[in-house]
Amino acid sequence: MSVQPVTDVSSVAGSEVATEPVPPVARRSRVPGFLRRPGGVFGAAWLAFVLAASVTASLWRPYEVDQQDLANRLALPSGTHWLGTDALGRDILSRIFTAGSLPLLASVLMLVVAFGLGLPLALVAAERGRRVEGVISRVTETLMALPLIILLLAVIGAIGNKLYAVMAILGVLISAAVYRVLLGVAKSVRQRLYVDAARVNGLGSLRVNLLHVLPSMARVAAVQAAQLFGIGLLMVAGLAFLGFGPGEPQPSWGFMIQDASTHIYDAPWLMVPTGLILAITVVAANELADAIAGKGKDEKRRPLRRRRVVASSEAPPADPTAVLEVRDLCVAVDDGPQLVTGVSFSLRAGQVLGLVGESGCGKTMTARSLLGLLPGGVSVSGGSILWQGRELVGMSDPQLNAVRGREIAMISQEPMVALDPMFSIAYQLIQPIRRLRGVGRAEARTIAAELLGQVGIVDAQRVLSSYPHQLSGGMAQRVCIALALTGEPELLVADEPTTALDVTVQAEILSLLRSLVRDTGLSVVIVSHDLGVVADICDEVVVMYAGEVAESGTAAAVLDDPAHPYTMALLGANPHVPEGEPVPLRLASIPGTVPPPGSWPTGCRFATRCRFAREQCTVPFVSLAAHGDGSVRCIRVEELARHHATWDAEAVGAETAPDAMPDARPDATVEPAPTAGALS
Amino acid sequence: MLAYVARRLALAVGTVFAAVLITFLLVHAGQGSPGAVKAGAGASAAEIAQANHELGWDRALWVQFADTIGHLIRLDFGTSLIDGRDLGHDLFTRLPVTGSIALLATLLSGVVGVVLGVTAAVRGGRVAQSINSGAGVALSLPAFWVGILFVYVLSLQLGWLPATGYVPFADDPVGWITSLLIPILTLAVGGAAMIARTAAVGMREALQQEHIRTLRAMGTPTWRIRYVHALRYASVPVVSVLGIQFIALFGGSVIIENLFALPGLGQTSQIAAAGHDFPALISVVVVATAVVVLTNLLLDLVVAALDPKVRTA
Ligand code: SF4
Repeated sequence: MSVQPVTDVSSVAGSEVATEPVPPVARRSRVPGFLRRPGGVFGAAWLAFVLAASVTASLWRPYEVDQQDLANRLALPSGTHWLGTDALGRDILSRIFTAGSLPLLASVLMLVVAFGLGLPLALVAAERGRRVEGVISRVTETLMALPLIILLLAVIGAIGNKLYAVMAILGVLISAAVYRVLLGVAKSVRQRLYVDAARVNGLGSLRVNLLHVLPSMARVAAVQAAQLFGIGLLMVAGLAFLGFGPGEPQPSWGFMIQDASTHIYDAPWLMVPTGLILAITVVAANELADAIAGKGKDEKRRPLRRRRVVASSEAPPADPTAVLEVRDLCVAVDDGPQLVTGVSFSLRAGQVLGLVGESGCGKTMTARSLLGLLPGGVSVSGGSILWQGRELVGMSDPQLNAVRGREIAMISQEPMVALDPMFSIAYQLIQPIRRLRGVGRAEARTIAAELLGQVGIVDAQRVLSSYPHQLSGGMAQRVCIALALTGEPELLVADEPTTALDVTVQAEILSLLRSLVRDTGLSVVIVSHDLGVVADICDEVVVMYAGEVAESGTAAAVLDDPAHPYTMALLGANPHVPEGEPVPLRLASIPGTVPPPGSWPTGCRFATRCRFAREQCTVPFVSLAAHGDGSVRCIRVEELARHHATWDAEAVGAETAPDAMPDARPDATVEPAPTAGALS
Repeated sequence: MLAYVARRLALAVGTVFAAVLITFLLVHAGQGSPGAVKAGAGASAAEIAQANHELGWDRALWVQFADTIGHLIRLDFGTSLIDGRDLGHDLFTRLPVTGSIALLATLLSGVVGVVLGVTAAVRGGRVAQSINSGAGVALSLPAFWVGILFVYVLSLQLGWLPATGYVPFADDPVGWITSLLIPILTLAVGGAAMIARTAAVGMREALQQEHIRTLRAMGTPTWRIRYVHALRYASVPVVSVLGIQFIALFGGSVIIENLFALPGLGQTSQIAAAGHDFPALISVVVVATAVVVLTNLLLDLVVAALDPKVRTA
């Protein structure tokens, strides 16, 4: 018996607030959400049943609670006594349900007191700001640190055995927990902009609370109330068990169990009915709480049935000089839409390949499948990844572990969260160095310091003894690169390695990568939405759109002379501004957004946004036409090239397109620039 | 750091003070008087008044409160109204009983809970669901009922353990632990359930962290990812809940001690409450609050030590 399930509520509160940005009005639906979960239905139904049966017990109970049937003492269940009898031959069924109303009603009273105090206090504290909140919080902290049960016994010792009064006092003590949870909700609601706006608009504080704060609290409060209700039931029963109940001959759950414990030798059955009813009632309250909190739904969705993929062998003969050969790679959500379809590219040793495109185009999924590191529920559904002649698709995790780190390493987008916050940099470097290079601890430390030097960290010893949170973003990314180098890999997969960093740091990290490629012969696959980065470092470029390759080729060819409208648009939206020059005010933009997986148009997937789209583009077409060194997936590529079509910032660009473009989207050029400069 | 500890200590002292104040006020708000308790049933009004006068009950309220606090500061807990025993000595012998039950039950809950929680997080699917539902049921079972069940099975049916009673450690260490085993198991049922849920959530969250992907990308063996990195990440919430659990089990032992006839604080507080033994009530409240407050303090320090962000600050 304890009060700490309450702590659980705060996490509910937190997640609710985080995931639901603006719920100003409670969602309207005929059936509340929690009644659509089996646990919620069971909980609500059982509580309603017990409450109704208890309150009306005097009307239907087969026997009076003190009616003794001395011929039938300690009887097992029978036709006359459905749940048996106790030592005095009294009917258990009648006694259980007669006893029920006290714990149920006393717990309700406790809830009323707890919320009656906790809720207004939370509202006041959230509204009046720091000082008031500080005082109230100090008091509630103190209340929460009191030993509840022992204090309740002291209450009983002082004021006598008055259960309702005792439970009301428990309500006062527990209001501290209610206050704490609701304060969290109230504060976060108030922090949201719309409340400030509502305030500015002259709404009084009462109306702000009624319209905005209280509705947002409703769910969290309901969860907590249901949990506290269960605790209240256990508390009343516990007190009755200790002899602080209504007193014989009045029945109470706790004392009936106490009585049963004295007959455990001669009538063990006695403890079953009361214990079960009490336990089921508390379970019901907790189930109801879970259902209101919306728990359980994420437990269900877990079809971890991974499709084992056999690599297709129909691929054309591999480029003999390539170390990495990706052929017709398909990635899909298990039992869901495809995320990547038929992506192919190859990479030679010492070369840098860029995967570009807006976010949602499948770049990251493609990159992560190179290491078999797709998120849960997503897997490679077809195609092949040949790494130095070995097929990576379909490899087991242990097999892949032999490749990861040793041959292919990865650096990720968010250096600040890519390192384990709990361990020192030294530990995080030394441990893989020892494993991957098979050296001792002291030598590993020397190597770690050398690696840090290699990635441009001057005071390696200080960094080694730091923890991740003590590093800047750029420093953390250098450490991540050093970590990736611990196994002396031949391929580095870099997923947006500079996106999270400051502009100056970005340039430093890029030049570090460039010098690593030059000095060590490393191959790199770099994922980026920033064509400047790509132009800076890549030899080859693969432009991805909606899960497939739109255009590929050498960096020089693709960037200087884009053939696919999407590449043109990207370049238009993302001008490669030389350092020091001002960024142009207006950038050409691509109207709309990447269609989500599963709703890709047939025919050209870019057709909905393409300035040059025509009827023929929406008909399915197969080929990824060879184009120079690379390939372009555009049915009009020849035509557009002939007319020197461009996708310029200046609207006039559209007119240079051939045949006056009957299907060209007229609004394409006047659309403001939502994606400009920030494609991700 | 020093200022922080000082602030926490001040809060701790304040909490104990508040507990004394609340109990004191409650005692004086009730109709009873210590004289009536001391003089016993059937005493005349004059006898009761005389007893109250001797106990100082007729003095001004604040004088009495100052007196109470003054004695408590000197660790003088007074004597019982009922049998005149020295309460300080009484608490001194009872605290270890309750303390060891709560501590051992917490340790057992911790071990079982972490194993179950980690299993749930790592295995997922049906295993996780059964562990989660099992924990939900375990949390809803009244401890005294579980205790009777254990007695029935382990003691009456199997005859492995004694049903009730207490053997002091000094007399017979083996007898001591066997006499405590059923109470500890009883308390650990709910405790383990709570820890299992926390550990499962913590591990699941830990395994979704970005840095876990970095480790996987380095080919780190799965056991190391799970049991070194993820477990270390989940240790902070788990340890916090372990501390809360200790406090809860310390309080929960009131009922358990009565069920199993163990001479701990819980037993004495039940007797004191039933007999309106005011000095005994105040002394139990003071000791229990002090234990709670010290546990919280210790917990804060341990959690701070576990988290590099706090430790290096
Ligand atoms: S096929 Fe048509 S819609 Fe697609 S990019 Fe080419 S011109 Fe645009």
